[in-house]
Formats: sequence, structure tokens, C-alpha cells
Amino acid sequence: MSKKYCIFITALFCAFIGVFLVANAAAPDRESSEMENRVLQQLPEIDLGTPAKGFQDGNFFNGKFMRDFETYTTDQFIGRDAWVDLKARTERALGKKENNNVYFADNGTLITRFDQPKDPERVTDNLNYVNNFVENVDIPVVFSLIPTQACIWADRLPEGAPNASQTDLMAQAQGAVTGAVWADVYTPLMEHKDEDIYYRTDHHWTSLGAYYGYTGLASALGYDPVPLSDYTPTVRSTEFYGTVFSSSGVRWVSPDTITTYVPDDGITVVSHTYDNAGNPVEEQRALYVESFLSVKDKYSMFLGGNQSLGVVKNANNPDGPKLLIIRDSYADSLVPFLTAHYSEIHLIDPRYYHLSVKDYVEQNGIDQALVLYSVPNFVSDGNLFWITR
Amino acid sequence: MVFSSLYFLFLYLPIVLLIYYITPLKWRNLFLLVVNLVFYGWGEPVYILLMLFTIVVDYFSGLAVARCKGQGNDRGAKIAVAAALVLNLAILFFFKYWDLVATTLQHVGLNMPVLELALPIGISFYTFQTMTYPVDVYRGDAEAQRSLVNFGTFVTLFPQLIAGPIIKYKELADQMTYRTHSPEQFASGVQVFVVGLAKKVLLANNIGKLWDVYLALPTDQLTVAGAWLGVLAFSLQLYFDFSGYSDMAVGLGRMLGFEFPRNFNYPYISKSVTEFWRRWHISLGSWFREYLYIPMGGNRVQKPRLFFNLFVVWAATGIWHGASWNFLIWGLYFAVLIIAEKAFLGKVLEKLPAAVQHIYTLFLVLVSWAIFAVEDFAHMGSYLRAMFGMAPGGLTNDNAWYYFTSFLPMLIIAVAASTPLAAKLWKRLPVRAVKIVLPVLLLAGLILSTAYLVDGTYNPFLYWNF
Repeated sequence: MSKKYCIFITALFCAFIGVFLVANAAAPDRESSEMENRVLQQLPEIDLGTPAKGFQDGNFFNGKFMRDFETYTTDQFIGRDAWVDLKARTERALGKKENNNVYFADNGTLITRFDQPKDPERVTDNLNYVNNFVENVDIPVVFSLIPTQACIWADRLPEGAPNASQTDLMAQAQGAVTGAVWADVYTPLMEHKDEDIYYRTDHHWTSLGAYYGYTGLASALGYDPVPLSDYTPTVRSTEFYGTVFSSSGVRWVSPDTITTYVPDDGITVVSHTYDNAGNPVEEQRALYVESFLSVKDKYSMFLGGNQSLGVVKNANNPDGPKLLIIRDSYADSLVPFLTAHYSEIHLIDPRYYHLSVKDYVEQNGIDQALVLYSVPNFVSDGNLFWITR
Repeated sequence: MVFSSLYFLFLYLPIVLLIYYITPLKWRNLFLLVVNLVFYGWGEPVYILLMLFTIVVDYFSGLAVARCKGQGNDRGAKIAVAAALVLNLAILFFFKYWDLVATTLQHVGLNMPVLELALPIGISFYTFQTMTYPVDVYRGDAEAQRSLVNFGTFVTLFPQLIAGPIIKYKELADQMTYRTHSPEQFASGVQVFVVGLAKKVLLANNIGKLWDVYLALPTDQLTVAGAWLGVLAFSLQLYFDFSGYSDMAVGLGRMLGFEFPRNFNYPYISKSVTEFWRRWHISLGSWFREYLYIPMGGNRVQKPRLFFNLFVVWAATGIWHGASWNFLIWGLYFAVLIIAEKAFLGKVLEKLPAAVQHIYTLFLVLVSWAIFAVEDFAHMGSYLRAMFGMAPGGLTNDNAWYYFTSFLPMLIIAVAASTPLAAKLWKRLPVRAVKIVLPVLLLAGLILSTAYLVDGTYNPFLYWNF
């Protein structure tokens, strides 16, 4: 190799590392990544701490500054989305059948892996909390778990892909919670597994899947489900890329369609929270908050996304019973179907609602309660103990 | 700090290279010392004090050795060497092995406190490296270093600080005071560095995920095929991780004008366990040979003493790899094999077909990695039993098949890359083709490594143990 050529190789390498040094310094930092659906690490500030506390109150001598800085460099790396895309494509080209815990399944479907719960004690604890809740309240309680794509669409997974049994966990739940009436949403979902009952790029069920869930809950909750043919489907978006799309790094699948079935006339939704001073705050929402259709997080169109406590009232059915749902976000797309049978549906998310549920039931004249989670959320949730208070 | 990170590649390295080359020659070592300490203290800034202490003590011990020798005081020189070695080993023992000894002694009822101190990064590497200094000065293999800055730079030199190669002082002494910088050297450094980066980020991290699956698998689900697949993945992960780091070290060294010795020489093509250890982590083997085995008499002793020497060296080699008893067993396992090869097995092997020799070596090395990689004894026992046919999950199952097919292209690439095949092909390429292919491959390696680091939730550093 001639000297000239060696200078060329040297310059090539230095240019590569130098260009990104300059570009990263020059490019403005992003608050969050819409593509990945998460907040990005910002540049941390050095805090040396005080000598009296052995400098452990700062972030420098305990290494937190360095760890945050490392996350900052990866989160804010220029062209991050393109790099993530390149990596996922390379993995696929190398014959990998998953990336970042998401399987490349058939029919352009991305399916989050479901592994045996890391902490089996958490599962039994959570089941005990449901039991305690049933004993605490004087109203009938229905309990059900929603299987996810990895269970219902197992036939779309790569051959031999590790996949822990969700039906075993549902059977365990049914057997453990004796005081509640178990509702089977698995069977109707399984019967309709060839329909679009889940999103291909998001972890939730679609409105259609939620409808079949609604039919599975019917006998336990005591209503006659409205036939699907009575509804006129409305397409809300054909450009939905969900959470699994975000976490997978996979950018080559086509988007999902969001459809709704139930009209929202006469339905009001109020979200209850507290301001910083601890005063109750009411926020008006809707069954379908259409503003979310113009952002990435389109599933939040249902009831306006996460909330601590939501109250859905149906003016068309003022004499109907009142239902309380202890739930995760799968309930958001189920609620529209339930409105036909209730005057009020109260939604409590124990991740955020930490007051006594027993008191809430008594003070609001609740007639029935439903505990409804997706299997992965139920076996991993660390907030269910709140419902025993 | 580790090399396979975005802040090293795109922040630390370009800034260090830029300032290094605009700094006048006589200030370059001082600049390196400063940035070495930044590199070293990045995770645990407090340990910079420990490092400075080590530097100062060893610096003065070297001067003391030289002075005693100059006065013809051999006894004094020996005392100075011994004092330096004891102090270095004491620091290493305290930070690395205290908790192991304490927890072990707790089992027999002695109440020793467990300290749970973070292991100073690279302590096993740089301690061994600094220990060569007083010995080399005593043996007359090197002059005592008069400059504290030069000596400090030698001890902390960031390219090989955290994962080797372990360089003897005598190998680097001249380079500390005089070294050349040329585009030829820099360009060859770039090539070795990018190869090392790709080995670590693209091969080791990728294959490592497969090993993690089998390490985490409950032992009642292990299959025979799965256990072997897992240990094969680990053997490739460790090789590419370790040799990748060594390559990056050699490459970075050349960019800064240093020449470090080669640390790996295609170990998996060995035809005997003895040969494997001549090709695996060469700098560690050579350290133990020169500073432990030969001083104990080496092989110029009676057979029983020779076997004793080998056992001591391999026990030390084993426990050097981590503060856990499985590493000791791993070392003794090799002691037995190497003694057997010295005694009779080597002669038998030579008469067998080459394929048998390769299979013999790979089989024993793969078994050794199961001992190395699974620290918990009960778990290790189940894992080895599974490898030898007593797997609760049977011969194979769907999961093993899934992982095998998922990783097959990676495994083929990795196995091919652990042989000299690519290097041979590269040498046969005409110069004109090399000139075109080289920059393309360099850029591809850099771009893909960057992509895997940006989306890198998985980037373990295997040498926290060492």
C-alpha cells in the first residue's frame, strides 16, 4: 500500500468518526421519539454532590451521570430512526425471525414474544389481590383475562418459536379466583382467529376483537350482546402504526386500520384526576377522541388514552345498571360495546388510581364489577395490590 | 469506558486523536495519561485515586530496584521487587477476591464481612502488566523509567487497559519514549480496529443472545442439542468478544504509534489442547510462563515437580479469570489435559488423522466453556449432564430447532470467521482489487456496527469479571 493510499484510508476513518461527532453536536436534541413511542434521554447535568454526604447525593461519583450520558448518546444519535431500521433489516437478512423481542410473523404481523412469567409469585399475588377484592365488595364480580396475539395467532409465528402458554395461565386464574364469575373471552376470539381481531403492529385487540370479547363476557355480565350486523363500521384511520411496530424496529410492514362500530351519540366521558394541590379535576373526554388520529399514538383515540379514573355515561340508557371495570388499556376499545347495557361504566386503572376501590363502589352505587386484563399485563403488573384497599 | 459504544467511537476517539496529533511530541505522553485516566475513571471516578496510587508506588519500586542493582545490592533489589509484587497482588486480591474468600469462609463459620465493592475496570489486566515492570528492571530486561508521566502512561494506556493484550514492560519500554507515527501505521491500525469492532458488535453480541437463551433456560427444559448449541454459541461469543477487543486494542495502539503483540491466533483450529493455549489469549499464557512457570523451574525439573508447577500455573490462570470457584476448576481441568498431553496423549494424538485431532480439541474446549460460563455448581452439573446425553428435555425439541435455524446464518459466518479462511482469500486478492474492496468493507463494518450500537439494548462487557 502506497503512502497516498494509507492517507486515504486514514482520512476515510477519521472523516467517518468526525462527521458524526460534528453532526451530533450540531443537531438539536429531540424530546421524544414518535417512531418509538417514548421519551428520549436529555443531556444530563453534572452534579458533584456535597463532601458532607460523601458526594453520594450527586450524580457524578455514583456513576449515574455517565450512565445517563451513555443513554443520551444512543438516544440522540443523528438519524436514529434510520439506524434502527437498518439494524432490523440486517437481522432479517441474516435469517433472524425476531428483533427486540418481536417475532416477524406471517401476514405482515409483528407479535411480541410471550415468555413464561419471570416472577411466578407475582402471578399468585395478583390472583390473591383479585380474591381479596371480591371479598371486600358486596357486588358480583366477573373476572377475565384476554389472550394476546402470541396465543390466538400462534399459527402465524415462526416455526418452533418459543411461546409460553397463555391458556395455562388463564386456567390457573380461573381456578384461583373462586369468588368471581370467570368469563371466557378466549373461545370466541379463537373461533374468529382468521379475522382482523388484533392489530398487526400494536399489542391491542381491534374493535372487532373487542366485540368478540364482549360476546364472551355477555353471559357472565348478564346481557344479550348486540349482533355485529346491527352496527355500521366506520374506518377511523388506515395509517396506524402501533407499539409493537415501535419496539420492533421493523419498518417494512404496512399500517393497521382502526375501525369503530358503536355510535357515540349520547355518550359522555369524564376523566377524574387531581391537580398538583390535590384538588379533584374533571376532564371532558369522548368515546372517540379524534385528535389522536393525527398523531402516532392513534389507539388513544379510544377514550383518550390512559387515565386513572374514567366515567362513561350513556344518556340513552339512564336506568341501566352501573359497571366498574378494573382494567388495562384493552378495555378502552371494549367500552363502546358495553355502553348499550349500562347507564354508567366506571374505569379504574390501578397503575394510577390508588384510593380505596371498596369505598368507590359504595359511594357510587356500583352494581357489578369486572376485572379485565390482558394476560401479559396481568402476570407482570405490580399495582394490583391497590384494588384490595 | 468500553470501545464498543457510541460515545467512545464518536466522541472520545475523534477528540483524543485530534488533540493527540496537534500536541507536540514531547507532550503527547502527558496528554495520553490524562485521557487514559478519563477513560479509566468513566465508570468509577473514585478509582482514579487507586490508579494514581498504583502508578506512584510501582514507579518508585522500579527506581529502588535500579538503584539497589546499581549499588550491587541484590538483596535490596529483591526486596523492592517483592514489595511491589506483594502490594499489587494485595490490591488485586482485596478488590477482586475478598468477597469470594469471605463468603466461602462464612460457610465454615468465620464471620468475614462481604464488601460488594465494584471491581475497578481492567484491574486483572493492568495489575499483571505493572507487575512485569519491577521484574523486568531487576532482570535487566529494561531500564527503570525515570519519567513518572511515561510510566503512568504505560500503566494506564487506554487501548489495552481493560481487556488486554497484557503487555510486558520490556515490550513497551522503548515505545514509551520513542515511537513513530505514520499514515501506513495509522491505516493498518484502522483496518485491525474495524475488524475488531465488527467482531465484537456484529458477531459476539449477536451470537451472545443465543447463549443467553440457554443460560437462562430452566435446566428441566434443556435438550442435548440445545445444550451443545448454547455452548457453541458461548465459545464463539467469547472468542469474538475477546479477540475483537484485542484487535481494537492493537488497532488503536497503531493509531497512536504503538505496536502491541498479537493476542489470538485462530485458537479453534488447534489440534491439541496444548496448541489451543498457544493460540488463545497468548499474552496471558506468555505472562504466566515468564513470570511464574519459569521462575518455578519450568520444565527443567523432575516430573513430579513439573506436574506440580503446571498445576500451580493453571490454577492461577483459572482463578485469574474471575472470583468464582468454577474458574479454578476450569483451570485445573486444563492442567489435567495438558499434563496428559505432555505425558503420553500428545504422542498418541499425532498419529491420528487431523480430523480426529480437531474434534478431540474442540470437544474438550467446548466442555471447558460450559464449566467456565456457568458459575453456579448445581446449574453447571445439570448443563454438563445435558451435554452428555442426560437432558430432561430429550435429544432436541422445537425450540432448539427454532434457535438453530434462526441463528444458522450467523453460526456459519462466525465459524468461518474463526478460521484463517478469510485472511487467506484476502491475501490472494490482487492489489488493485484490495484497493477497491478495502474501503467498501471498512465503511460497511463501521456503518453496520453503528446501526447495531444505536439499537443496542444488548452490548455486554464480559471482562467485568477479569
